[in-house]
Amino acid sequence: MSENNADTGALEAPTHWTSLEELARTPEFEAFASAEFPTAWEEARHSEAGRRDFLKLMGASLGLAGLSNACVRQPDEKIVPYVKMPEELVPGKPLEFASAVERGGYGTGVLVETHTYRPTHLRGNPEHPDSRGGLHPQAQAGVLDVWDPDRSRQIRRRGNVSTWDSFVREMNEVIANLSEQNGAGLRFLTGQTSSPTLLRTFEAIRQRMPEARWHIWEPVSRHHMYEGARRAFGRYLEVRYRLDRASVVFDLDADFMGAMPGAIRHQAEVLRTRNNQDFDRWCRLYVAEPTPTVGGSAADHRLRIRSGEAGALLAAVARALGLEVPRPKASVDGAFATAVARDLAAAGRGAVVVVGDAQPPEVHALAHAIHAHLGAAGHAVVTTEPVLAPVVDPMQSLRDLVSAMNAGEVETLIMLDRNPVYDAPADLEFGKALSKVPNRVHVGAHTDETADVSHWHIPSHSAFEMWGDVRSTDGTATIMQPTLRPLHDTHSPLAVLSIFSGENEGTDYDRVRKTWKERLKGDFEKTWRRALHDGTVPDTAFRVRQPKLDPKVLKGAPPPGPDGLEVRFVPDPNLWDGRFATNPWLLELPQPITKLSWDNAVLVSPSTAEKQGLEATDVVELRVEDRMVEAPIWVLPGMADDVATVHLGWGRRSAGPVGSGQGFDAYAVRSSQRPWNTAGKLKKTDRKKRLACTQDHFRMMDRGLIRAATTDHYASHPQFAHAREAHLPKLTLWKPWSYEGHKWGMTINLSACNGCNACVAACQSENNIPVVGKEQVAKGREMHWIRVDRYYSGPVEDPVLTHQPVTCMMCENAPCETVCPVNATVHGPEGLNQMVYNRCVGTRYCSNNCPYKVRRFNFHLYADWYEESLKGQRNPDVTVRGRGVMEKCTYCVQRINRATIQARVEGKKRIETDSIQTACQEACPSRAISFGDLNDPDADVARKQKTPLSYALLGELNTRPRTTYLARLFHRNDELPVPTPARQTESHGDAAGKGGTHGSH
Amino acid sequence: MAQIFPRSANAVFRATVMGVIGLVAATVALAYGIHGGGYFTRQDLIRHQPVPFSHRHHVESMGIDCRYCHWLAEESHFAGIPPTHTCMGCHSQIWAESPMLKPVRDSYESGEPLVWNRVHDLPDFVYFNHSIHVAKGMGCATCHGRVDEMALVWQENTLHMAWCLDCHRNPEKYVRPKDQIYNMAWNPTAREQAELGPKLVEAYDIQTQDHCYTCHR
Repeated sequence: MSENNADTGALEAPTHWTSLEELARTPEFEAFASAEFPTAWEEARHSEAGRRDFLKLMGASLGLAGLSNACVRQPDEKIVPYVKMPEELVPGKPLEFASAVERGGYGTGVLVETHTYRPTHLRGNPEHPDSRGGLHPQAQAGVLDVWDPDRSRQIRRRGNVSTWDSFVREMNEVIANLSEQNGAGLRFLTGQTSSPTLLRTFEAIRQRMPEARWHIWEPVSRHHMYEGARRAFGRYLEVRYRLDRASVVFDLDADFMGAMPGAIRHQAEVLRTRNNQDFDRWCRLYVAEPTPTVGGSAADHRLRIRSGEAGALLAAVARALGLEVPRPKASVDGAFATAVARDLAAAGRGAVVVVGDAQPPEVHALAHAIHAHLGAAGHAVVTTEPVLAPVVDPMQSLRDLVSAMNAGEVETLIMLDRNPVYDAPADLEFGKALSKVPNRVHVGAHTDETADVSHWHIPSHSAFEMWGDVRSTDGTATIMQPTLRPLHDTHSPLAVLSIFSGENEGTDYDRVRKTWKERLKGDFEKTWRRALHDGTVPDTAFRVRQPKLDPKVLKGAPPPGPDGLEVRFVPDPNLWDGRFATNPWLLELPQPITKLSWDNAVLVSPSTAEKQGLEATDVVELRVEDRMVEAPIWVLPGMADDVATVHLGWGRRSAGPVGSGQGFDAYAVRSSQRPWNTAGKLKKTDRKKRLACTQDHFRMMDRGLIRAATTDHYASHPQFAHAREAHLPKLTLWKPWSYEGHKWGMTINLSACNGCNACVAACQSENNIPVVGKEQVAKGREMHWIRVDRYYSGPVEDPVLTHQPVTCMMCENAPCETVCPVNATVHGPEGLNQMVYNRCVGTRYCSNNCPYKVRRFNFHLYADWYEESLKGQRNPDVTVRGRGVMEKCTYCVQRINRATIQARVEGKKRIETDSIQTACQEACPSRAISFGDLNDPDADVARKQKTPLSYALLGELNTRPRTTYLARLFHRNDELPVPTPARQTESHGDAAGKGGTHGSH
Repeated sequence: MAQIFPRSANAVFRATVMGVIGLVAATVALAYGIHGGGYFTRQDLIRHQPVPFSHRHHVESMGIDCRYCHWLAEESHFAGIPPTHTCMGCHSQIWAESPMLKPVRDSYESGEPLVWNRVHDLPDFVYFNHSIHVAKGMGCATCHGRVDEMALVWQENTLHMAWCLDCHRNPEKYVRPKDQIYNMAWNPTAREQAELGPKLVEAYDIQTQDHCYTCHR
C-alpha cells in the first residue's frame, strides 16, 4: 500500500466515496483503511500494560494455547429423547410455523424455523401480502427476543417476587371495588392494535365496566394519515399504495420503504421489477426528503427538502397539475415540482404520491386530491376501512390520560406492552403524573423504565410463545401461533385483559378461537387449520372503499414549517421507538445510511455543520424550547440544510445490561405539540463522543466498484459497465478448476438494492454470527458476513446514494487459499471457497490477502458459549465459532448440503433449478440477490451473469469472483438536471483503470 | 590459543543433539499415542446407562430391527433415540414390574424424559448425516460394530477423521447391498468385497466426497 500513496495523492478525488474523510483523503482515513488489523502490540501500547507485560502475556498465551489444544477431551454428552414423540416432528430437520410479528399494530407474516420447536430463524411468509417473502431487520431480529437472557422472568409486586394467582386475586378486588362506579377509575394503556381478539376483549370490558377507559399511546403513530383521509373523504380511512400498479412514485418525506407500515411490500413492488430489463414497467421513483433514507438510495431523482417544506412542494406540484390550490408561501424547487407534476400527469392512474406519516393532515389530504384528479384513486392508491381500531390520535389519548392522572381520576392503570415513562413527550411529564396513580400495573417483556415505577410488573410472552391475531396493512388477518411453551413465568397481555373482561376461564388459544368462530363461515375447524398453516385467514382483506373527495381540501394550506434550524424526530431504523433497544443484533447493525452502530447522533448536512462550526462527533447541546439534551453530531451528506434529524429509541435508562445507556434520549426534547419537527438550536460543547461508524471499514478504495448509468445510456451503450475495465494479462499460477456438477454463484443487482439491511440481519440469525460490542466495532471487528457498503457520488452536499452488499466472492483464483499455511481455506468441488474452522490457527494471512475484505476474525470469544438461553437460538446446522479462528460467508453451505443430501437420498443426480435460497437472498424484499448453479442455463443467476450489466469487483486482479454485480440503472427523467451518470461511469472507469495499473498487491 | 573444549566435548555435543531429537520424537509419539488412545477417543469404553438396555437381548434374541427404535436413520441426520412410549409399547405388558425398568415407567408416568449417555459423540464442528450413508449402502455394523452382540454399547471405532476418510476415499471397500444394511452379520470375504464393491459404487452413484464442507461447516 505504501508505494501507492504517492499515486493516490495524485489521484483526483474519488468518484464514489463512503465518507467525507475518504473524499478528503485525510491521513486518518488512509491509516485506518490501510491497516487491516491494529496489531496486538498497537493495542497493548494504548492499554495500561507495558512492553514487558505484553511480552509475558504473549509467551503465556502461546504456551497455554499449545497445552489447551493437546489436552482437551470432549465433555460427556447426553441424549434426551421425547417421552411421547410429536407426530409431525423429525428430529434433525427444521419445522416451520406460520405466524406474524407486529409493530405499531400492523402484522407482517413470517415463517418461524424451529428445531425441535425452538425458534431459530425467521423468513418472510411468501403468501402474506405485507411480506411476500421479504423481511426487514426489526422483524428478523425478533427471534432473538425469545432467547434474550435479560427478559423479565418473574412477576413482581412492589419489587418482590409474586405469583399470577395473587395478581389475579388483587385485580379481582380492584374490579369488585370499582363495580359500583361502573369501572370509573380504571384505565388501560395499550399501543395501537388491529387484533380482533383484543378488540373483542375490550368490547367485553366496556360492557362490563362502561366507565373504564382505554387509552392508546404510540410514539410513532399514523394518525396524520387517518386524519388526512378524514379531511378528504369525511371519515377515517386506511390509505394503501398499490405500487405494483404504479409507474411514477413520488415519496414525500415518507420513508415508504423503511419506517412506513407496509414498507416491505412497497419495496417489493417497486424494486422487484428492476430485476427485469423491461424498462417500460420500471417505476420512476422521486424522493423528496430531509434525511437520506433507503428510499432515497433507490431513488431515480432525489431532492433535499426540509420537512416543513413538503406541503409547499406538494402544493406546487398540485398547481402545476392544474389544481386550484393556494400558492405556497415557502419557496420550492420549481423545476423539480414541474417535472414531477408532468410525470405524474403522464402516469395518470399509475401516479402515486406517498406522504409521510409525520406530515400534517393537510398534506395527506392534498395528495388525495391529486390522486383523485389523476384517476389514481381506487387504482394505484386505494382506501379501505381503518386497519387500526379504534382510530384515535395517540397523542391526544395520552394527553387525556395524563390530565386524568393529574386530576386524581385514575385509581388503577394497566399498561400493556407500553413504556410511556421513557417514550412519552417530555412536556407531558408522564412520570410525574403516573406517580399520582395509586395502583400501577405494567405488562411487558422487560423490566423497563415504566416497570421500575409500577406496583405490579407482569412479564409478557415473546411473540412465539403466545396465541394472538393481527392484521396487515390490507386488513388480512394472521393468527399468531406459538412454537414453544413459555420459557419463563410469563403471561400475555390478552390474559391480563381477560381478567377484566370476565373471560378468564381457558387460555389465549380458546380466546382467539372464540373470536374467529364468530367470524369464519363454513367448516370452522377446516378453515382454522388452513389459516394456521397458510399464515393468513382467508377473505379477511378489507374491501376497497372509494368515497367522493371533499373539494374543500384544495382550500386548506398546510401549516408552515419551523423557522431556523428544523429538528426532526424520526423512528430509528433499527430500534424504532426504543422497543427494540434490548436486542443486541439491532443495536449493532450499522444503520442503513449513517452506518452508525451502537449509537444515534444529531444528523446535519456538511454545510450546516460548517455554518454552526461543528464537526462530526462533537457533543452539542440540542435545545428545543426550554429542554435540552446532550448529543453527538454526525455530518451526513445528502441532508437538507438547516435540518437536524434525531433518531428516537436510544438513550434507554432501563433496557438491561446491553441496551441501557447506548446513545442519547431524543424524547427528552420532544414535545407533544410538535412531535415530528420543530425549531431548535445546537450549542457546541468542548467535548467529543467516540462513535462506532462502519462506513470506513473494509475499504476496497475507489477502484470502479460501483458502475451506473441511465437506462437510456444503457440502451445505446450496453457494454458501459465494462467500458473502462483494465485489460491486464490474466496470468495465474494455478490450474483452472473444472466443475462437472453444480457450480454455485451469486449475483447482486445494485438497481434493486436500497440498503435496507434485511440480508445482514438474516445472515446473522442463520449463521450464528455474534455481536461484538461498540469498542470492537470501532476497531473494525464487526463480524457480519455480509456488509452493505453505502457509497456517495456527485456533489458533497447533494450526492447520489448507492448501496452495495458485499459478501465472500468465492473467487476462482482465491488469494486467500494460496496464503493459508495450514490449508484451512480451500477450494471445493462446487466452487465454494471453504473455510474450515477446526483447521484454522488464526494467522489472518487469508484476510490480509483478501482484496474484498470479507473475512472476519474472532479476536475474542465473541460467541457467548456460556449463556444457556442463547443456545436455543443457534442454528444447529452451523458451527459456533471460538476465539482465534477466521470465518466468512459460506453461501449458506448448510442449506446447500441439506438440499444435496435430500436430492441424493431421493436418488436424484442434481438439485432442482433455483431450489436453494441463501438466507440473505430469502430475506431480500427486492429479490436483489440471486443464487444458484452457474452450470444450469435456466438458473436465474446464470441468466443474470450473462447480461452485459454483470461485472466483477476488482476484476483486474484476476481473482475471478463467483459473485458478480449488476450495474445500477437509473430510470431518469431527462427534464431534471442531475449529475449525468454517463460521465460518472466514465470517470470512475478511469479510476478503475488506474487502480488496475498500480494495484500491485 | 589453547582449545577451550576438550575433545570429549564432541561426543557430549553429539549425544545432546541426538538426545534432543530423540526427546522431541518421543514426545510427539507419546502425544500421538495419547491422542489416538482410548482416553481421548473413548473407543471400546463401555458406557453405563440409566437403564441397562441390552442391544444383544433386543436384537439378537428378540430379532427387533434397528429401525424400530432408530427410525430416523433413513430420513434425518439423526438416527433417532426412541421415546419412552416406544419402550412402553412392549414393557407395559412384559417385564412390566421389573425393577430394572423403573426409570422407564417413571418417565412414562411423570413425563420427564430419560437421559441417556451418548456413546458416539462427534465434535460439534462435524456434521454427520445418517440418511445419506444408509441411502448409499453403508451398513450399521460398518461404523457401529456388532451392536447386536453388545450388552451395553461401546464405541467400536476411533471416529477419527482419518477413519472417516478411509471410507470416503475408498467407499468400495465398505459398501454393501442395500438389502444387507441392517444385517449385522453381513461379512463378505475380501475377494467378494473386491468384486462387489466397485459395482455397488457405480450402481448407487457413490461419490468420493472428501472436501472439507462435506462434513465441516
